[in-house]
Amino acid sequence: MKPNVNLETDRDANDVIDRILEAEGELIPSSGFLAATMERVRDEAAIPKPIPFPWLRALPGIVLAVAVLGWCGFELARVVLANARENSFAQVHLTAATGRALEPAEWVVLALAASMLSWFFARRLAGRSGLL
Amino acid sequence: MHAAISAEEDPADVNRVLAGDVQAFEGIVRRWQGPLVNMAWRYCRDRGRAEEMAQEAFLRAWRGLAGWRRESSFSTWLFALAANVFRSELQRFPTVNVSLEEAAEPAGPATQHEGLARKQSDETVRRAVLALPTRYREPVVLYYFHEMDVAAAARTMGLPEGTVKARLARGRDLLRKRFPHLNEQSTPPLSSTPRPKKEVLQ
Repeated sequence: MKPNVNLETDRDANDVIDRILEAEGELIPSSGFLAATMERVRDEAAIPKPIPFPWLRALPGIVLAVAVLGWCGFELARVVLANARENSFAQVHLTAATGRALEPAEWVVLALAASMLSWFFARRLAGRSGLL
Repeated sequence: MHAAISAEEDPADVNRVLAGDVQAFEGIVRRWQGPLVNMAWRYCRDRGRAEEMAQEAFLRAWRGLAGWRRESSFSTWLFALAANVFRSELQRFPTVNVSLEEAAEPAGPATQHEGLARKQSDETVRRAVLALPTRYREPVVLYYFHEMDVAAAARTMGLPEGTVKARLARGRDLLRKRFPHLNEQSTPPLSSTPRPKKEVLQ
């Protein structure tokens, strides 16, 4: 709300604000500014470009990792489903046996998942920083 | 003024830089160092910091030169990039922590040393721009930097002209209310009775 606004006075005040803010003196950059800026640019240019991720070479490894993960998942699901169908005696017996066998596999799966996650976040961070 | 600096040299230099000639960037810095340092100065009113911010803007321009799509002029692209750099720099390390209400009151019309007093008073008003809320500060800064060209300020901010006009009007309104003596400077003191400070500020 603008009570008692004097349009004439307000316009004049705007004119004064215009005069003050427009009539800013020109700032001359210091003599070393150009050289300092170009030095930074040259430093930046001298940094070798980041080596692109060797997707082609990594492809067999990635395929293998995905296959192992898939196989582990499939085996885990198969055993769990098979156990669920067995009677309680066999279930207890089988669960103990398969549990021991699958214990390292679970850790491998977990480690692979953690590695994938950390790789994914590292790439995202590097991408944001302009490193990739 | 700024756009007239170079319409042809910039694309040529950009092409050379993109072709691998680092030295060609010097032409760009040479031509635009004045405008960019002055623009940064209006954002922070600190010469050293203005140069640092301008340098950072040039470095970002260097990194992102391939991103200039040539749909707009080089200056438009450069100013928009610089405004982004300055904005984020000032978000990280704000220049002033005082509110507009706390900004110093300039001295009234002086009888002696009038020129000096006027200079000081003007500088106080300019500094008060930095105390404006962020959304009004930038339109005010860029409008006057672009020599009162709303369209250019809007392009630099990447906002519609209408939005910039509205924010500019609000920013100037806040300044006018903060410094009621500005009314007296331009008109004889007939109807412009300055309101008490507290009432004006609310």
